Amino acid sequence: MIGKDKIVTLLGDTLALKLADQGEAVFVGSESGLTRFANSIIHQNVAETQSKVFFRVAMGRKLGVASTNSLSRGDLKAAYRAAIKIAKAQKENPHFESLPGPATYPDVSTFFSETAKFTPRSRGLKVKSIVQVASRRGCTVAGSLTTGTGEVAVVNTRGVAAYQPLTSASLSVIAMTKNSSGYAEGLSRDVGALDVRAVAGAAVDKAVACADPETLSPGEYEVVLEPAAVAALMEWVNYIGFGSKAMLDGTSFMCNRIGQRITGEEISIHDDGTDPAGVAMPFDFEGVPKRRVELITAGVAKGVVYDSLTASRGKTVSTGHALTPDSSGEGALALNLFVAPGDSSLPQMIAGVGDGLLVTRFHYINGFLDTPHAVLTGMTRDGLMRIKDGRLQGGVKNLRFTDSMLRAFGTVKALSAQRQCINAWWDSLGCITAPAVHLGSFRFSGQTGF
Amino acid sequence: MKDRLLTTIDFLKSRGVTYADIRYVRTTTENIKLTNETVDTLSRDLDQGFGIRVLADGAWGFASSAICTLGEMRKVAGRALAIAKASALVKTHDVTLAPLVPATGRFETPVTLDPFKVPLSKKLELLSFVNRVLRRDRKIQVAEASMDFFRTEKIFASTEGALIEQVLTESGAGYTATAVDSGEVQRRSYPNSHRGDYGTGGYELIERMNLKDEAERVREEAVALLTAPVCPSGSRDIVIGASQMALQVHESCGHPAELDRVLGTEVSLAGGSFLTVDQLGKLRYGSRLVNIVADATTPEGLGTFGYDDEGVPAQRTDLVREGVFVGYLTSRETAPVIDRTSNGTMRADRWNRIPLIRMTNINLEPGSVSFDDLLADSDGALFLDTNNSWSIDDRRLNFQFGVEAAWEIKGGRKGQLYKNALYTGITPEFWNACDAICNRDHWHVWGVPNCGKGQPMQVARVAHGAAPARFRQITVGVSR
Repeated sequence: MIGKDKIVTLLGDTLALKLADQGEAVFVGSESGLTRFANSIIHQNVAETQSKVFFRVAMGRKLGVASTNSLSRGDLKAAYRAAIKIAKAQKENPHFESLPGPATYPDVSTFFSETAKFTPRSRGLKVKSIVQVASRRGCTVAGSLTTGTGEVAVVNTRGVAAYQPLTSASLSVIAMTKNSSGYAEGLSRDVGALDVRAVAGAAVDKAVACADPETLSPGEYEVVLEPAAVAALMEWVNYIGFGSKAMLDGTSFMCNRIGQRITGEEISIHDDGTDPAGVAMPFDFEGVPKRRVELITAGVAKGVVYDSLTASRGKTVSTGHALTPDSSGEGALALNLFVAPGDSSLPQMIAGVGDGLLVTRFHYINGFLDTPHAVLTGMTRDGLMRIKDGRLQGGVKNLRFTDSMLRAFGTVKALSAQRQCINAWWDSLGCITAPAVHLGSFRFSGQTGF
Repeated sequence: MKDRLLTTIDFLKSRGVTYADIRYVRTTTENIKLTNETVDTLSRDLDQGFGIRVLADGAWGFASSAICTLGEMRKVAGRALAIAKASALVKTHDVTLAPLVPATGRFETPVTLDPFKVPLSKKLELLSFVNRVLRRDRKIQVAEASMDFFRTEKIFASTEGALIEQVLTESGAGYTATAVDSGEVQRRSYPNSHRGDYGTGGYELIERMNLKDEAERVREEAVALLTAPVCPSGSRDIVIGASQMALQVHESCGHPAELDRVLGTEVSLAGGSFLTVDQLGKLRYGSRLVNIVADATTPEGLGTFGYDDEGVPAQRTDLVREGVFVGYLTSRETAPVIDRTSNGTMRADRWNRIPLIRMTNINLEPGSVSFDDLLADSDGALFLDTNNSWSIDDRRLNFQFGVEAAWEIKGGRKGQLYKNALYTGITPEFWNACDAICNRDHWHVWGVPNCGKGQPMQVARVAHGAAPARFRQITVGVSR
């Protein structure tokens, strides 16, 4: 960890050269370790110390971005000058008004010393315990355990000086028998909050319960989706629909539907970077405080998230969802997603199914098929189970689904009161907090032989 | 820098490691993207550092840092050694490596026009021109055009005596027109979707793409798709365009042929493979027309290099020969499992990532028919062009791909245009249904710049030589 004072001073000193009309420096640094296991042994074990500084400068309305991973003052100045050279070479961006001004940020606890102190040996011992849990039940395991620290800072010439230290810890476990598998995961900024043996036990329970899976024909089924399955769907729904660029470009399923019912009324989804129930982060990569944004409320489309450029284009204000400057062309993204809970429980939902399926998680989802209708496809993985007369019957060979999520979530019957934080593409900057969901109809379009 | 690397190798030898290597990597990147004639990405990045891989106590450790001083290298070497010892807490056997004659040499991508010396104004003018042409219809809501350039300088040294320098230059460009009307969204791209086409080489690759010449067609096809009927469902003969064939090879042959995945070490993320070692030399993967090679020497391929990140020389290996599955992509650790030596496919996406088995240029070799003759012989079939969506299960069997556009073939020509076309199948059944592959005149090496694998996630740049091909009675369209 470098610390706030050193980073802010280093970035501020470079911007103090005053070569641009406005300048911004974004620091993203991390020290992380990942222990990966498969076939019940550790096969990959890595450590990384990395930092990146992005400079975004404005010459009037001309923007330029350059970045470097060197923290030497000379290299930082060279990157800053490169950003200016790029800005001078290009056309005005009509959507640029100004870099954001100073703000106050909520005090969110994002750094846990136990996580920061976790060693490769500590991770190795945890993996050893996972292997022991699995081998007692005749299973092999694969997965990964990651721990790390991070620092994010945003400094600009208008007075922004934001800094946040982070830690993160995540665990995934796949337990395997000869012909089945089960999955469970854990995620927290505090490694002490990860119950490693419980996660391993859940994966093993599922694998054993799914042994000797039956073959089921594709078709429309009632389903109970566990939180990891819900989050995987939401990851894509978010990507194609809840960002400002998709909204402004007209490709999102939210377009021309704000104020209209688009899912079942039990569905409410919002983004909130300040809620410690998820993986919190109080500001975005422009130094704008993250606001709670209602995306879908009681099934009604409410809004999307913005950064400053797309906010200007959309004639609104930033909601604090900017990505790093090199990705700003992608628009804003909701990184701290919450699917509202219901009042049911996973056992109650299973008990409410006459003939259907329990989905542990999905694999390789794609959401580019038909974005205005939020059509996704993907496979089930690591624990698809048949439910009959309210009871789990055993494993089912994997199925492909192809369905509109608006249609499927229009058939929602119940959500669990308990939710889980699920890892998403954006790692330590946020997560998807999701309940289990009972849907009346979900369309499976194909099958595999395993 | 070489001296620092060699001193660090000497230090690791003195600590009694079984094996160690160190890689210094410096990468310069330039990304440009224009959306609706506004430059929304124009960035340059400089990224450098080193990674040390240590085999000790029979297990691997890897550590890396961006601070390239000798003192930091020694510190990181110690960390990698400690991590290897932690890995040894959970092992059942010692890692052994296939033998290798340590290489000393240098490789540099042949470049005619250095892309980093071509003025920004020239690049922006070309992308602006394309943007303007694409936007000449009000239904084109989004016109995107982009270019990406990468230069990677590497130095590799090992305790076995290898010392290799490489300079790889990669260039790519492409554009997409997104048409929007009445709640309908349709796209057409050139020369390929997902930011276009890429190769190893300089700006000459961009000049050869004829980006200006195709923009009118791309715009018109995107608009036409808005009112085209949805592709009908059913079992149909299909002719797949070359760029989509490249992705088909990528997902249903390239990934399942990675021997680390076969042996289970990718299970925690992207899954395993149906190409298990008991199938080697036995499985009828496809019809007798199907020949697939891994060739890291293909000129201008995005998966072309001099040496992999274990110091193994680039080479060409059969994966499928006359339809029979005969080979894997291997590393020094995995090759002994099938009694072979490494065929040189270990690559890391940067200095801070451990090498993994990655695709090189996985090429479907050309057949003998011309494209015109294939269309003339395919009445009633669908021609499917340019990838839109992709998904495959965790053993690489059940796949579903969507394409930007589909046409019914009538009288040897493309007839009725259809939108939202999908096709799906089970990998060996699909490849066994292949009964025609176009000849070398229609064969092109398509660059795929965003192949994801591993934890932490690594993005590799790979390629696939492919020509249009025909498959009989494939399931097209699926229930929505």
